[in-house]
Amino acid sequence: MTILTGKAEAHRRLQSDKSGMLRKIWSHRADYAYVLPAIVVMLIVIAYPVYYTIELSFFNTPPGLQLRDKIFTGLDNYTAILKSPVFWKVTSNTLIWTLASTLIAFVLGFACALALHRDFAGRGILRAILIIPWVISAVAASYIWKWIYHSDFGIIGAVLVGLGLADRPPNFIDSVSTVLPSLIVVNIWREFPFAMIMMMAGLQTVPDQLLRAAKVDGANAWQRFCHVTFPHLRNVSTVTILLLAVANFNSFIIPWIMTGGGPSNASHIWITHIYELAFGRQRWGVASAYSVLLFMIVMSLGYFYVRALSGNERKDGSV
Amino acid sequence: MAHVVLKDLVKTYGSFKAVNNVSLTVNDGEFVALVGPSGCGKTTTLNLVAGLIPITSGDIVIGDRVVNDLDPKDRDIAMVFQNYALYPQKSVYKNLAFPLQMRRLPKEEIDRKVREAARVLDMTELLERKPRELSGGQQQRVALGRALVRDPSVFLMDEPLSNLDAKLRVQMRSEIKRFHQDLKATIIYVTHDQLEAVTMADRMAVMNGGYLQQYDSPAQVFAHPVNMFVASFVGSPAMSLVPLEASTANGKSVLTSAEGWSLELSPHNAQKVAKAKTRKIVLGARHSTIKLHKSAVPGSIPAKAYTVEPTGDVTFVQAFLSGALVNISMPPTIAVAPDEQIWLEFDQERMHLFDGETEMALKAH
Amino acid sequence: MSAIAGTASRGQARRRRIDGWRWSGRIFLVFILLYTALPMIWMLITSIKSGFAAMQFPPQWWPDQPTLASYQKLLDPQNSVGQDFLRFFWNSLFVSTATTILSVIVAVPAAYAFSRFTFPGRNFLFFAVLLRNMFPAVIFLVPLFILMRAIGLVNTHGSLILTYLTFGLPLAIWLLKGFYDNIPVQLEQAARIDGATRFQAFVLIVMPLSAPGIIATAIYSFIGAWNEYIYAYTFLSKNEQLTLPVGIQRFFSENTTDFPGLMAASFMMSVPVVVLFLVLQRYFVRALTEGAVKH
Repeated sequence: MTILTGKAEAHRRLQSDKSGMLRKIWSHRADYAYVLPAIVVMLIVIAYPVYYTIELSFFNTPPGLQLRDKIFTGLDNYTAILKSPVFWKVTSNTLIWTLASTLIAFVLGFACALALHRDFAGRGILRAILIIPWVISAVAASYIWKWIYHSDFGIIGAVLVGLGLADRPPNFIDSVSTVLPSLIVVNIWREFPFAMIMMMAGLQTVPDQLLRAAKVDGANAWQRFCHVTFPHLRNVSTVTILLLAVANFNSFIIPWIMTGGGPSNASHIWITHIYELAFGRQRWGVASAYSVLLFMIVMSLGYFYVRALSGNERKDGSV
Repeated sequence: MAHVVLKDLVKTYGSFKAVNNVSLTVNDGEFVALVGPSGCGKTTTLNLVAGLIPITSGDIVIGDRVVNDLDPKDRDIAMVFQNYALYPQKSVYKNLAFPLQMRRLPKEEIDRKVREAARVLDMTELLERKPRELSGGQQQRVALGRALVRDPSVFLMDEPLSNLDAKLRVQMRSEIKRFHQDLKATIIYVTHDQLEAVTMADRMAVMNGGYLQQYDSPAQVFAHPVNMFVASFVGSPAMSLVPLEASTANGKSVLTSAEGWSLELSPHNAQKVAKAKTRKIVLGARHSTIKLHKSAVPGSIPAKAYTVEPTGDVTFVQAFLSGALVNISMPPTIAVAPDEQIWLEFDQERMHLFDGETEMALKAH
Repeated sequence: MSAIAGTASRGQARRRRIDGWRWSGRIFLVFILLYTALPMIWMLITSIKSGFAAMQFPPQWWPDQPTLASYQKLLDPQNSVGQDFLRFFWNSLFVSTATTILSVIVAVPAAYAFSRFTFPGRNFLFFAVLLRNMFPAVIFLVPLFILMRAIGLVNTHGSLILTYLTFGLPLAIWLLKGFYDNIPVQLEQAARIDGATRFQAFVLIVMPLSAPGIIATAIYSFIGAWNEYIYAYTFLSKNEQLTLPVGIQRFFSENTTDFPGLMAASFMMSVPVVVLFLVLQRYFVRALTEGAVKH
């Protein structure tokens, strides 16, 4: 649909043979007005930073944010990163963090959605309570759990001692071996509600007729889940998992506030490490190179995200 | 009220021609049905008249104005949509008032007109309801009412009955017809149901593939379809079309079938066939013009009954003839069983003959 | 899993197996409820302890002498802690509200255009907007900081509002587009024939119908802005401008042992968004169902 009508359009169509694309864009100029604000904001806040980060990643930069005396060093920043042992430590932390958080949060959230699908007394209240961790600030969540994990006065330690399972309260987040799993528990606590909401929304779209048809065909509850419910939710599941994965890959607040990446890098993930490089040690060039590497990884995830979304689009029938 | 003229109307989407040089005139106060299968361009044509989509070329005249470049709101038209398009958040009263508010009528006048329309359509007690609280028929009536309050020069209706159940559809059909007669309104009515067009319209425009096929009164279209498409589209059950070969036997013009039989043509029909440029002829016959015999009579053709459908006052028989399915109606007093041998006699006066290559109706002169 | 069980038949033999599903569902829900709720309950219990009572081992499961002292301190405009907290609260409210209003203003027309019009590059632009979700915040920190300094927005709330706008927009546009996809185009056509201009048809007919989507968008933007930490942490350095997450973090990194105060602050920081979300959550779930998941 366009706002142009009749003769004006026909007139334009005649001219469009000369420079088709530009004319076409021109004839839709009113449509672009609607998206222009969004595009402008996006360009300022995305395109420029991306460009700048890439540029900076090829320079050696002095400390401070003046960045006037930077020296072009080619790929030095990248080779330095790949040679550093911290890089591999942080990468493996990030992988564990992202995979464990994403998969467990998704499974928990999906299970909650299924368990809450059927109506029962108190379902609304239960659902509301379960969503709260996702709504509250990650800063608040970090402090709550930091207090729960506290090595002297933490409640979990006290319970373990009280039950005779430990002699003294364990050091959950001050020990290299337990810090990452402990933080993952916090992260899942905050994120499974999102998977729950998405999957609840998805479950509402599973056609009842199909479930009934499967029942008539003699499928039991488990078979109906495998053959009807889950296949129907494949798209939603993909989008949910990808959104979770990206969010986890990009998470910052929980490790930053709870441990600051310590002890001895055991809970540093990419983002916290980059932040420390940039704003802690002011090594802008290296931090930028890290960002570019990260960016490429995320873009490859993004490719699947767009594929999953455009799968939705096609089913919708709209182009 | 006003007349509507479409002149060489064209609408293309890229290389696809949705509406192809359609020209027709709707007289003042006339009820015209645009009819055709889905995708034939009828709804696109209506949307062009409404101004909802821009035309590619051609002219649209409403009253004495060329409205090609006018916004829908300035064309002085009203439209009833297939899904009624009632504003779900507004009450019936506000739905009816909306077009008047948009025209900045004084409040008292709006109130008077809305109540008048509600009275005419017998829905005064529904005024405070929301559309979702209404039945399909009531929603339909509100949609009509919203068109009515405006007192427009042309009513456009886009399949207004197709969302109703069968019984309600018959009832609303007569109500819309009555509505047309009382208001002497100019109506352009789009439908895929030829029965609606035949029963309601003064003239019907049969469309296919973006082209206007035939534009005439239902009786004329029914009696003299211009081509095989119109012949098979209008009338229910559909006209049977049997592909045959023209030849001469003993100096007489006959149509022969690959099955071996031949049918001798009356002089009038023979003249039509003689004018044809091809030997491939398609015989068209409506169910009521074929007589069914249980034994051979002169001029009859042997066939085998395939299905038998009693409907009460008539029984429909389908039979295979030269590879085509033929519909025959007969009184229920004759008993025919599936697979029974029967003989068919065609009424030469009411028989249609088509050119097998161009699919156009053959003419005697 | 009891979802499937719920639609099962009434047969005796099946009943038993179905109850198995139902019971495992219930046990699971109890477990997940404990996981979700216990940390929050412990936050509340700690927040009504005195500083001395909190630092005990084994802990007091319920405080011997419950006290609202921490809350009083935070909300008292007479002392410096209360002044800071209330100022942080006000800053967060301002930044979040402004972000929300701007998000809606920008997202509504964009989503409408993506839903209704087919202009060249539409799909590309749509996915480009959605891709914003994929970028890690940290990529933008340095260049945005420099950009903000160049346009004079460092140490202003404007820098945060502009940045937050881009967080919320992709999902907002996506959700709203789903809503507009579900509003029949005939409604607008009817309105235009009834005498409305295109713009009037949009404002008078389409906007009210997409209200649930707009509300969901607004909640999402508001919560995102309210909880954001990393940009606020980087862009703002003056104490009187800090938003709650950063303010609290700054404050308690200097008072590391005041856990009741920290828990009380965490609680009060959470109240506005939790209340907002719980009141309006049905719109959010509906928006996800209609906008994001259905098609």
